[in-house]
Amino acid sequence: MSDNSLNNLPGGFKGMSQDMGSDQTVFKGVQWGKVMMWIFLLSDTFIFSCFLISYMKGRTSTVVDWPNTSEVFSLHVNGVPVPLLLIAIMTFVLITSSGTMALAVKYGYEKNRKMCGWLILATAIGGLTFVGMQAFEWSKLIHEGVRPWENPFGAKQFGSFFFMITGFHGTHVSIGVIFLFIYSRKVFRGDFDKGKRGFFTSMKSDYVAIEILGLYWHFVDLVWVFIFAFFYLW
Amino acid sequence: MSDEYNQKNTPIKAQSSETTSGSSGSSKDIDYVRPAELPEQDLYHGHSFITKWIFCQDAKVIGVQYFLTAVFTGIVGLVLSWLMRLQLGFPELVPFITAEHYYQFVTMHGMIMVVYFLTALFLGGFGNYLIPLMVGARDMVFPYVNMVSFWMFFIAVCVLMASFFVPGGPTGAGWTLYPPQAILPGTPGSNMGIILMLVSLSLFVIGFTMGGLNYIITILQARTRGMTLMRMPLTIWGIFTATALAMLAFPALLVSCIMMTLDKMLGTSFFMPTILQAGEVLSYGGGSPVLFQHLFWFFGHPEVYIVALPAFGIVSDLISVHARKNIFGYRMMVWAIVGIGALSFFVWAHHMYVSGMNPWFGFFFATTTLIIAVPTALKVYNWIITLFRANIRMNTVMLFCLGFIVTFVNGGITGIFLGNVAVDIPLSDTYFVIAHFHMVMGIAPLMVIMGAVYHWFPLVTGRMLSEKLGKWHFWFTFLGAYSIYFPMHYLGFIGVPRRYFEMYDSPYVTSATGMNEFITVAALIVGFSQLIFIYNIVTSLSIGKPAGKNPWKANSLEWLTPEVPPAHGNWGEKLPVIHRWPYDFNVPGAKEDYITQTTPPSEVISAEVEKT
Amino acid sequence: MNEIENKETVASTHKIGIYLWIWGLLFVLSFFSYMVDWFQFQGLLRWTLILIFMFLKAGLIMAFFMHLFWERYALVNVLLWPMTAIACFIGLMAAEAKYTVLTRLLYFFTGG
Repeated sequence: MSDNSLNNLPGGFKGMSQDMGSDQTVFKGVQWGKVMMWIFLLSDTFIFSCFLISYMKGRTSTVVDWPNTSEVFSLHVNGVPVPLLLIAIMTFVLITSSGTMALAVKYGYEKNRKMCGWLILATAIGGLTFVGMQAFEWSKLIHEGVRPWENPFGAKQFGSFFFMITGFHGTHVSIGVIFLFIYSRKVFRGDFDKGKRGFFTSMKSDYVAIEILGLYWHFVDLVWVFIFAFFYLW
Repeated sequence: MSDEYNQKNTPIKAQSSETTSGSSGSSKDIDYVRPAELPEQDLYHGHSFITKWIFCQDAKVIGVQYFLTAVFTGIVGLVLSWLMRLQLGFPELVPFITAEHYYQFVTMHGMIMVVYFLTALFLGGFGNYLIPLMVGARDMVFPYVNMVSFWMFFIAVCVLMASFFVPGGPTGAGWTLYPPQAILPGTPGSNMGIILMLVSLSLFVIGFTMGGLNYIITILQARTRGMTLMRMPLTIWGIFTATALAMLAFPALLVSCIMMTLDKMLGTSFFMPTILQAGEVLSYGGGSPVLFQHLFWFFGHPEVYIVALPAFGIVSDLISVHARKNIFGYRMMVWAIVGIGALSFFVWAHHMYVSGMNPWFGFFFATTTLIIAVPTALKVYNWIITLFRANIRMNTVMLFCLGFIVTFVNGGITGIFLGNVAVDIPLSDTYFVIAHFHMVMGIAPLMVIMGAVYHWFPLVTGRMLSEKLGKWHFWFTFLGAYSIYFPMHYLGFIGVPRRYFEMYDSPYVTSATGMNEFITVAALIVGFSQLIFIYNIVTSLSIGKPAGKNPWKANSLEWLTPEVPPAHGNWGEKLPVIHRWPYDFNVPGAKEDYITQTTPPSEVISAEVEKT
Repeated sequence: MNEIENKETVASTHKIGIYLWIWGLLFVLSFFSYMVDWFQFQGLLRWTLILIFMFLKAGLIMAFFMHLFWERYALVNVLLWPMTAIACFIGLMAAEAKYTVLTRLLYFFTGG
C-alpha cells in the first residue's frame, strides 16, 4: 500500500497529470462526501453567479436612477447616519462564525469532541445572529416602503434584486444553521467517534462530515463577500 | 504487408517475454495492478418489496425507474406532436384543437421531449444503470441520494402533468417560455400553467443535481482497480461530460425559473419592461426580457449537448462492438467529447441572433459555433473510419447506429447553416429550424436510445429482443422520420414560419399544403410504428430468447458480472480488476475476436493488443 | 508549498496559528472594504479597491478555511476552470447591459 500514501505522490501539475491518469480515484485521498460537497458548491456558485450577473444586467440597463446604497442601508446612531453600519456588523459576524467553523474542523480531526462541539455551536449562534440581523434589515426596508415590486428611492429592480439575492443567501444561511445545530448535537453525542449509522442513509458517521459542513459554511461566507462588494458597496 | 508488421514487432515482443520469463513470478509482473485505495463500499440491502423495488437504493433499479418514467412522459410528448401535426396537415379537422390548445401542445411537447424525456432517459436511465457497472463499482457512491433524486424527478413529472388539468391548462408560451408573453394574460396557461411549469422545472433541477453528483463522483472516485479514465468506455465519457455540463448549466435555468416565478407571483420586474395592455399601463417596468433569453440559453445550449454527448458516447460503443473493431482514435474521441462540453458554454447566443441583443455578439457566437463543429466533425469521421473495413454485423443495433450517423450528419450540416448570422436571419423561426433540431437532437439521439435498448435489453432482462420485429421497427422509424423532417427543410426555405397555428390564405398554402399533409401522415405512421417496439419489449420479457452471458461478445465490464442480469452489489465476492480498454476486438494473435477488459495480459501474451 | 504539503497533509490538521492569522486578515480586509464606503471614494478608485479587497477575502477563505491551498492540483483545477464560463458570461452581459441602456436612452428619451 506504500504507493497509495499521499506523501509519496508528486505535487503540482505533475501530480495532477499523474492523478488524472491513475486508476480508481482522481482526487487522491479525498472522501466521496467531500468531493460531493465541492461539486455541489461549484454548481451553487453558478447559481449565485447567475443571480449576480442578472443583477448587473438589471442595474446597468435600467434608465431610472439606482438608489445610493450607503444612504439606504445607513443606521442612525445618536441621530447621526452611519452608512452601512448594520451590513458591516453582519459581515463581521459572518466572518467570526467562519473562523469558529474553521477551528471546529481542526478540532474535529484531532478528535477533540468537546472543543469541536462548542465551536460548531458558536458557529450556529453566529449564523443565527446573522439571520436575525438580516430580518431586522428587511423589516427596516419594508417599513421605508421598499417592496419586491416597488422602491421609493429609485429603480424598481433595486427592491427585487435585494430581496431575491439576500433572501436566497439567507436561505442558505438558515439551512446551514439548522445543520450546524444537528451536527453539534451529533458531535456532543459522540456519533463521529463511534461511527454511528445515519438515520436516513444508514451510512457510518465520520469526522470528515464536519469538514464537509465547514465547506458549506465557508461557501456561505464566500458568497456574502461577493454580495457585500457588489450589492452594498458598488 | 502483414508479414512486415509482424517482423517489426517481433523484437519488442521477444524482449518483453525475455524480461518476464527472467523474473520468478512471470505472469504476476505483467498482470500487476495497483492495490485498492478505498475500502469496500458499505451497501444498504433492501429486504422488503418496498425497499427493493419502490424506494430502492440500487442504481440499476433506479435506472429502470427513470427509464420507464421518462418513456411515459415521452409517449405523452409523442401524442402531443400528433395533435400538432393533425392541425398543421388538416386544419380544423379535429374540432378541439383550437389555437390556444395548439400552443399548449407545442410548449409541452418541446419541454417534455428535451428535459423530461431525453435528459432523464440518457442520464437518469442509462447513466444510473451503466455507470456503476461500466466503471466496476458496486453501486453509486450515495445510493440514498440517488433514490431521492428519482423521486424528485417523479414529483417534477407529476407537477408537469398536473398542469394539464388546472384551470387555463398548461402554459402555451413555447418551450423557451420567453417573458413577457409567458406570464401575461392572453397567453394560454399564463396563470397556473406557467407557475406549475416553473415549479416542475425547479424540482427537476434539484432532483437532477442529486443524481448528477452521484454520477460524477462515482466516475471520478469509485472506479475499480486498473480502471483509468482513458480505459473507460466512451459511453461513460459521454454521460460524465453531459452530467458535468448539467451541473453547471441547470443553475441558469433554476435562476431564470425563480426570477420568472417572482415576476409572475410577486409582480417584480426582472424580465418585464413597461407594458401597455388594452390601453392600460401595467405595474411592470424597467426589466430586461433579453436577460431571460441569455439565462435560458446559457442553460439551453449546454442542454443540447447534455442530450447529444451521451448519445455520442453510447453510439461509439455500439458501433465498436457490432463492427468488431476498436473505435478509431479513442483518445481523440474523448478529447472531442470534453472539448465539445467545454465549448458548449461559449455558444449560447447563436439561438438569439434575431432577439435584439447587442449586434456585435453575432461575430463572437458565429465563430465559437463554427469552432464547436470541428470536434463534432472529428467524431463523425471516427465513426465512419471505425466502420471502414470492419467486420460489420448488420443487426438491429448496427442499423440504428448507421441511422444515427446519417441523421446526425444531416442535422449537423443544417446547424452550420444556422450558426452563421447572415444565413440564420432569413431562416430563423421557419420550419428549417424545426427540421434542423429535430434531426440533430430529436431523431439522432432517439436512434441511439433505440439501438441502446436493443443492445442492453439482454443485460437488463436476460432475454434478447426479436431481431425481426426490430428490423421492421428500424425501417419504419428511420424512413418515417426522414419523410417527416426532410420535407421540412424545404418548407423552411419557402418561408413557412414555425409556431403558426394555421396558414389560412397566405401564399404558402398552395405549395405547402400537400407537403404538410404528407408529413402529418408520416408522423402518424412513425408514431404508431413505435407500437412494434413496445410489443417487442413486452413479449420478449417472457418469450424472448434467453441471452446468456455476454451475448454480443462485448469487452466492457457490464457484461462480465457473475450473475446476468446483475444482482445488487454487481460483482459478487470480488471486484473486477481491469487490464485494458474495452475495445480490443479482432486483435491479431488473439484466440478469440474479443479480449475482455478483465483478461490479464499473461493470458493474451501473443496478441498484439493496444497499450492503453 | 511542497514543504507545507508534506508536513501538513499527514495529520490533515493544521496549526491553530494559521487559522487565527487568516481570521485576523479577513477582519482587516473587511474593515478596509468598509472604509472604502466610509471615505466615499468614487469612480474607478472605488471599484478597483472593492474588487481587490473582495478577491483577497474570497481567496483567503477558499485557500485556507476551505483548505484549497493544501488540496492536490487535480481538485483545485477542476473547481477553478469552470469559472471561465462565468467570466465569459459576465463580460458578455456587461456589454449587453450597456447596449440595452444605450438603445433605451436613444429610443425612449432622445428619440431615434
